[in-house]
Amino acid sequence: MAGSTSITKLLGDHAQLKYYLKILHRTRGWAFWAAWAQRATGVLLLLYVWLHIITLSGLSQPDKFNSQMKIFGFILFVVLEWLLAIPVIYHALNGGRLILYEIFQIRKEEILLKWVLFLGGVYTILLAFFMIIGDQQVSAAFFWVYMAAASACIVYITIKKLKASGASLFWKLQRISGIYLLLMIPAHMLFMHLNPEIGHEAQTIIERMGNPFIKIVDFSLLAGVLYHGAYGVYSISQDYIASEKIKIGVVVLLSCVTLLFAWTGLRLIIMI
Amino acid sequence: MGTYDITLNIHRYDPEEKKSRVQTYRLKAGGITRFVDLFRKINDEDDPTLTWSSSCEHGQCGACSVKINGKPLLACELLVENAVDLFKTTTFDVEPLDNVAPVVRDLVIDMEKAYERVHKVKPFIINPKPPPAGGKEHQISPKLMERYLEATRCINCFCCTSACISSTRKFLGPNAMLAAIVRAMDPRELEKQERLSCLFSEHGVYRCHSSFACSFVCPKQIDVAHFIALAKAGALQEE
Repeated sequence: MAGSTSITKLLGDHAQLKYYLKILHRTRGWAFWAAWAQRATGVLLLLYVWLHIITLSGLSQPDKFNSQMKIFGFILFVVLEWLLAIPVIYHALNGGRLILYEIFQIRKEEILLKWVLFLGGVYTILLAFFMIIGDQQVSAAFFWVYMAAASACIVYITIKKLKASGASLFWKLQRISGIYLLLMIPAHMLFMHLNPEIGHEAQTIIERMGNPFIKIVDFSLLAGVLYHGAYGVYSISQDYIASEKIKIGVVVLLSCVTLLFAWTGLRLIIMI
Repeated sequence: MGTYDITLNIHRYDPEEKKSRVQTYRLKAGGITRFVDLFRKINDEDDPTLTWSSSCEHGQCGACSVKINGKPLLACELLVENAVDLFKTTTFDVEPLDNVAPVVRDLVIDMEKAYERVHKVKPFIINPKPPPAGGKEHQISPKLMERYLEATRCINCFCCTSACISSTRKFLGPNAMLAAIVRAMDPRELEKQERLSCLFSEHGVYRCHSSFACSFVCPKQIDVAHFIALAKAGALQEE
C-alpha cells in the first residue's frame, strides 16, 4: 500500500513537473528561459575551453597527441563534436541579440530570438553537412584574414557605442570580447570541421599555428574566450553569493584558474 | 458565464512555529471573480486564519502581489476565467513573493524590508533645479516627458523583482532601479552623478542580464527592461 502511494505521488509530481514545463513561457516569457540557456551554455563552454587548452597543450608531443586524437574517429565522438555546435552557436547569437538590445537599443527582441533559433539551426545543419563531406580545403590565412577583419569592424562599432555608457571597464570588456567572439568562435568551429581528419593531426595544427598571423588570431581568441568566460562566471556568482568573503574568494579563484590557462595557452602559441 | 470548480494550493507559513506547509482549498467561483475575492471567500466560509494582504484592490497599490503557478501578479487584477485561460487548469499554486522579502505569515511578506531596496536609490529629487523666476512652475516638454512617462506608472508591487533572473535579496531589483532611472531622466533633478553611482553599483545594473522577465510580468505594462537598457547604454539623457 505504501509502495503504491509513493508511486502515485511520484507520478503526480511528474505530471506537475510536465505541467510546469508546458507553462514556462507563460510565467516569465521565452526570453527569460533564453537567459537561463545563455548561462548554462556559457558555463558549459568555459569548461570545454579549459579542456580544449589542456588537450592542445599535448601538441608538444605530436605522436602522443595523434594517438589521443584517434578517439575522434569513433562515431560517438564525432556526434559529440557536432553537438557542441549547438551551445556554441546559441551562446554566440543570443549574446549578439542581447548586445543589440542593450548597446544598440534595438527593441525587436522577440523577432531577434526567432532569428537566433533559425540561424542557429542553419549553422548546425551546415556544420553537419561539412563534417559529412569532410574534404573541404581553404587557406587558413585567407579564411582568418576575412573573419578577423569582419570581427574588427563590429568590435570597433561596439566600442564607439559603448563610449557613452557609464558602466565599468570590466563590464564593457565583456561586451567587446563577446562581440569579437560572436563571429570568431563559430568560424573557428566551422574551419576546424571543413576537413575533420586533418583538423586533428598534430603536424597540420603545428604548421598552421606556426604562421605569425594565425598566432595573433589564436592569441586574441585565447584572451577573449578566457576573459569572457571568467567574467561571465564571476557575474553569475555575484547574483547569488551574499558573503563578501566568499565573493572575494570566488574572484581570487577565478583569476588564478584563468591565469593558469592563459599561461598554458600562451606558452603553446609561443613555443609552436 | 460559467462557474468553475477551483482548487487553490496555498503556501502557508506560521511564524510562531516557523513552519511552512501547503494547504488545499476547493471552492466554486464565477468567471469574473478575482483572486482576492477567492481569498476573502476562504476567510468567510472556510478558514479565517488564512492571511493575505490587499489595500486598493484595483491595481494601484501593489499590496496583493502573489505568485500564481509561478507567475508574480496582482491578485486583485486576476479573474478566475483569465487565470484558467492563461494556465490551462483550474488548480492554482498560490505563493507569497518570498524571494523579495521574508514572509510574515502565509501570503504576506515584510513590505518594510521590500521597500528598503527602493529607499536605497532615494526615490525623490535629491537636488532640485531652482524654479523659474516670477513664481512660475517648471515646464517639461511633452517630447521629453514621453521618454519616461511610462516608467512613472510603477506602483512598486515587486512582481518584477520576484520574476527577475537575479532575484536575490541583495539585488536592487528592477522597480528600485526604475525609481532611480525616472529621477535621472527628470530634467528637474540636478544630482545626476549620485544617481548614476547608485545605478552602476555592484547591486545595480550589473545584476541585470536582460532576461526581460520584469517587462513580461509587469501588471502596469511598463517595459522595465527598456529603461534599464537605456541606463546601461548611457542613453538616459536626451541626445
